[in-house]
Amino acid sequence: MKILVTGAGGFLGKAIVERLLAHGQNDLRCMLRDESKSRGLEAIAARYPQARLEFVTANLRNPNEIPRAVSGADIVIHAAAALKGSPAEMFLDSVVASRNLLEAIANELRHIRVVLVSSFGAMGVAELPRGAMVDEKTPLEQHPEQRDVYSHSKLRQEQLFWEYHQKYGFDLVVLRPGVIYGPGGGHFSNRVGLSLFGRFLHLGGKNLLPLTYVDNCAEAIVVAALSEGSSGQVYNVVDDDLPTSGQYLSLYKKQVRRVKSVPVPYFALMWGSRMVERYSERSKGQLPAIFTPYKTRAMWAGNQFSNAKLKSIGWRPLLSTREGLERAFAAFRAEPEKAK
Amino acid sequence: MGEIRKLRVGIVGCGKIADGHAEVVRYLEGAELAAVCDREPLLAEQLAVRYGVRGWYGDMNEMLERERLDVVHITTPPGVHLALTRQCVAAGAHVFLEKPLTLTAPEAKQLIDIVVSGGRQMSINYWPNFDPPAMQFKEMLARGEFGDPVHVEAFIGYDLAGAYGQALMSDAGHWVHRLPGKLFQNMMDHIFNRIVPLFPDVEPEVHAFAYKRREAVRNDGTDALLDELRVFLRGGGVSAYGSLCSHARPVANTLKVYGTKATVEVDFNNRTVVSTASQRYPSAVGRLAPPLQMAGRYLGEAKKNIGQFRRHEFHFFAGMSKLLELFYAGIRTGGAPPIPYSEILRVVGVMDRVIEQVYPVPVSEVLR
Repeated sequence: MKILVTGAGGFLGKAIVERLLAHGQNDLRCMLRDESKSRGLEAIAARYPQARLEFVTANLRNPNEIPRAVSGADIVIHAAAALKGSPAEMFLDSVVASRNLLEAIANELRHIRVVLVSSFGAMGVAELPRGAMVDEKTPLEQHPEQRDVYSHSKLRQEQLFWEYHQKYGFDLVVLRPGVIYGPGGGHFSNRVGLSLFGRFLHLGGKNLLPLTYVDNCAEAIVVAALSEGSSGQVYNVVDDDLPTSGQYLSLYKKQVRRVKSVPVPYFALMWGSRMVERYSERSKGQLPAIFTPYKTRAMWAGNQFSNAKLKSIGWRPLLSTREGLERAFAAFRAEPEKAK
Repeated sequence: MGEIRKLRVGIVGCGKIADGHAEVVRYLEGAELAAVCDREPLLAEQLAVRYGVRGWYGDMNEMLERERLDVVHITTPPGVHLALTRQCVAAGAHVFLEKPLTLTAPEAKQLIDIVVSGGRQMSINYWPNFDPPAMQFKEMLARGEFGDPVHVEAFIGYDLAGAYGQALMSDAGHWVHRLPGKLFQNMMDHIFNRIVPLFPDVEPEVHAFAYKRREAVRNDGTDALLDELRVFLRGGGVSAYGSLCSHARPVANTLKVYGTKATVEVDFNNRTVVSTASQRYPSAVGRLAPPLQMAGRYLGEAKKNIGQFRRHEFHFFAGMSKLLELFYAGIRTGGAPPIPYSEILRVVGVMDRVIEQVYPVPVSEVLR
């Protein structure tokens, strides 16, 4: 069985390739935008003598570069997405890229199983009460224009996959990871806080962080991709024993580096968000509305999370959260320049 | 005062810079962003959703037919500006274009001719020239505070690792690499549109040279891009240096004018306009005063900027708002456009001369 992984050279993509090999899937085609990313994958493949890794350099913005990557693939795991850039670039690399990939899949005129790595950001959590459970039944975001561009682009991407699934009837499995962390990843999710004017504003308080260690997340994607019963299903991906934002920050300070942080309680954050939104409107956008009550509710109101559905198809975390944090923080200590 | 009819504005080309246009138009009192269009409908959709625009299109003719637009902002790469302008003018719309206007100066002339013969108006997004410091400079110049310009220095910094730089350095297929003058062509409007208005209306001498300073070789289409440009111009009694510099830090954006009465520096990033103090008193003691005078002038600029910020006049694209206000007013009244067409043509003329010199066409291609 040939499996295509898009974004294979990325933080999550590499882990997916590793987990596929660990599950005995040896016939892998890795789509990379930059050829140099193949080196990391070759190092992984060296640990699996049976591995047959094929590298395809393609930019998903260019529809004519995709068919040769999709050709002959039985499963397509779409992990490529934009994490930064201007709104137009993020939509190009997440949404237009997905449409191009889906067109190539539809044009293959044969059965291909499609696995999408979506995001927690695609869900509409701003209207949930504080502390509400976020699971696979949580509706998709209804007001993407009020959220950040990343959430908007991931929502539109997931919608596109469902539209094509409806139209062409291929098997589709969607995974919505929470915050993916691990060595080589970002140090702080915005859910913990933001650096502003030389201080770290701790905004997450006692909220649970929907963390998933990169290998645990990759394992979830591979288990869902290979599970027969997962077709047409959505799986949220979070680990067990989630820490609170405060616990994460305090462990980080102990194990990685000193951080001058200022705790901002939720009521103060909401008040500040209202002020920022009003000022932005009154000044006709002289300062951008980086905080608004809607964004604040979506990001920092605090929720409960479930991985029960994922466990029902056999997923188990490879690493506990304690072990995952230890490994991540050990790596962060060695590469402090990557701190956000 | 009666309420003015809102101009119906459309945007074609929903890439990065379209956000700036949408952001400015949404707050302009006399305009309404009615529709957006991109040949990639998903890009048109995202812009429309984020800015609450009712109409989005993948086909410009359809947009023009359905929306009856007064003005279309053309924010596509320049290769299609001429064709799109023709369509817009035929549909009765005025056009506001992103720089660079076209690929060549003759094409720019053709574009303006189409607009004029169609009885419409056009302008180009020379927004920094309408930013608060540029407007202040123009007023001071008109009052004769600097006398006549003798020499001009226009300096533009560029960050190849910045948001725009990264987009083109990470993609050998980016449209900027296909421009005859590559990165310079995309940036040097902002150099010469500052110099040209200070020159007499004669054909200037243009001497340009350029080179690649960065060391990294990627072995792809990005390698052909030169990143440092120096131009020397002379027209009548005025000379100028124009520089585009990708490596000096901080990334600067300045205009310095040496006049017969005074020398002034406009800093577009810091939004200051400061004339150079001179030594009025003799000897070593006399040299103590000018730095203090300069400090006072900068303090005055800081005070002015704080005032503008308090009055909500300090937006990033304040210049684009001002330029569009003037352009839209000209459309309503049939008055002159904010940037004379002759000035635009002189700018693109100089750009052609620079490109010929720094990216000469190989003889083999000329013979073909």
